[in-house]
Amino acid sequence: MEAQKYVWDGAIPLQIHLHESQVTTLPPPPPALILAPRIGYLPLLASLLKPYFSSTLPPGVDTIWFDYNGLPLKWYIPTGVLFDLLCAEPERPWNLTVHFRGYPGTVLIPCEGEDSVKWSYINSLKEAAYIMNGNCKNVMNMSQSDQLELWHSVMNGNLETYQRVSSKLKLATVEDEHTSLCSSKSQQGFGETDLAGQVKTGRVPVRLYVWSVSEDFDDLEDMPKVDSWEKISYINRPVEIHKEAGVDFEDALRIPSEDVSSDKVVEDHVQNAYEHREACSISSSAEIKLIRIQGIEPKLEIPFSWVVNNLMNPDYFLHICVCVKVPQQNST
Amino acid sequence: MAAESPSSVRKVVVHLRATGDAPILKQAKFKILGSDKFAKVIDFLRRQLHRDTLFVYVNSAFSPNPDELVIDLYNNFGFDGKLVVNYACSMAWG
Repeated sequence: MEAQKYVWDGAIPLQIHLHESQVTTLPPPPPALILAPRIGYLPLLASLLKPYFSSTLPPGVDTIWFDYNGLPLKWYIPTGVLFDLLCAEPERPWNLTVHFRGYPGTVLIPCEGEDSVKWSYINSLKEAAYIMNGNCKNVMNMSQSDQLELWHSVMNGNLETYQRVSSKLKLATVEDEHTSLCSSKSQQGFGETDLAGQVKTGRVPVRLYVWSVSEDFDDLEDMPKVDSWEKISYINRPVEIHKEAGVDFEDALRIPSEDVSSDKVVEDHVQNAYEHREACSISSSAEIKLIRIQGIEPKLEIPFSWVVNNLMNPDYFLHICVCVKVPQQNST
Repeated sequence: MAAESPSSVRKVVVHLRATGDAPILKQAKFKILGSDKFAKVIDFLRRQLHRDTLFVYVNSAFSPNPDELVIDLYNNFGFDGKLVVNYACSMAWG
């Protein structure tokens, strides 16, 4: 499962500046340089940032939040996804501003530190389980210690522990001959089959982040920056994987699922989801300009099943960032 | 697939159900715009029950992120033409 290891090791280099309103010392402190895990969440960096800036912070209660170019960052979105979404042309290091005061309650949902992030993670996991199994009993029935161990494995980027604990959940999604061939016996891959046969259809939890532009851009750098969350469509819609019917259960032969290329799957999915959402004025189809998953722009030929099994986040969701070009609407 | 008419704005029926010792609302069924966020349901409950601390779930299973759209929650987790939302004053399903 090498790909998963790459994903878990992936990090975004951040250069974090303390907002000037909270700098009480001269000279102002230099920015903090941090490698933030892709699969992690920004508020978890508080344990590093608070001590770093503590000598200069004004007295009072601290509630950490971040902004990029003035846009408050939604803390429940994994760091890697935020980067893929908001930096059309990847900016390295990524310059963010950290605040410890003035929490923008109208834009961001409340966050009270690690507990809030953990709550958000566990509930996402339950939601994913519900999408895949029709219920989330497996997550609800986890022992307290298992749940804690799972959460800590995500916080600390410990893939081994994560795989060990999450395998107990038996969350099967997509049959993928490419991944299962490589995985070791001790690991529980996706697409577990029971004696009765294979799962015929799977539902893959997907979170789509769609931002639209009205013209083509030669350079990603020229793309307009996202200055409001209103410009991003947050779409939660599972992808249905249909498999070939008819498996002879006595036969060990496994018929691989129709390996649709990921490009096609995402395109159809976005088209579908987008049409449902923006039913009003957009008559012609939206043209997909960019698809990013874990910082990767997947090649046309990659089977979607591989993408699901290897690029999903620890919450069992596939987070996909998409840029669509939407024809300019005529003013009425 | 039939396209929705431009003027149709999809509304979702939400059924609010009390859990544990949470007060029961006089009116428990509402229609809300699909394009609204789940936060609107949470805020509504907070105002109706005069409580800041509330735990809100879907299908007695999980607490959706307040930024999720009601239409997505309905499409994914609704049944019998409605979205069942449970509310409690203390954590019901940990």
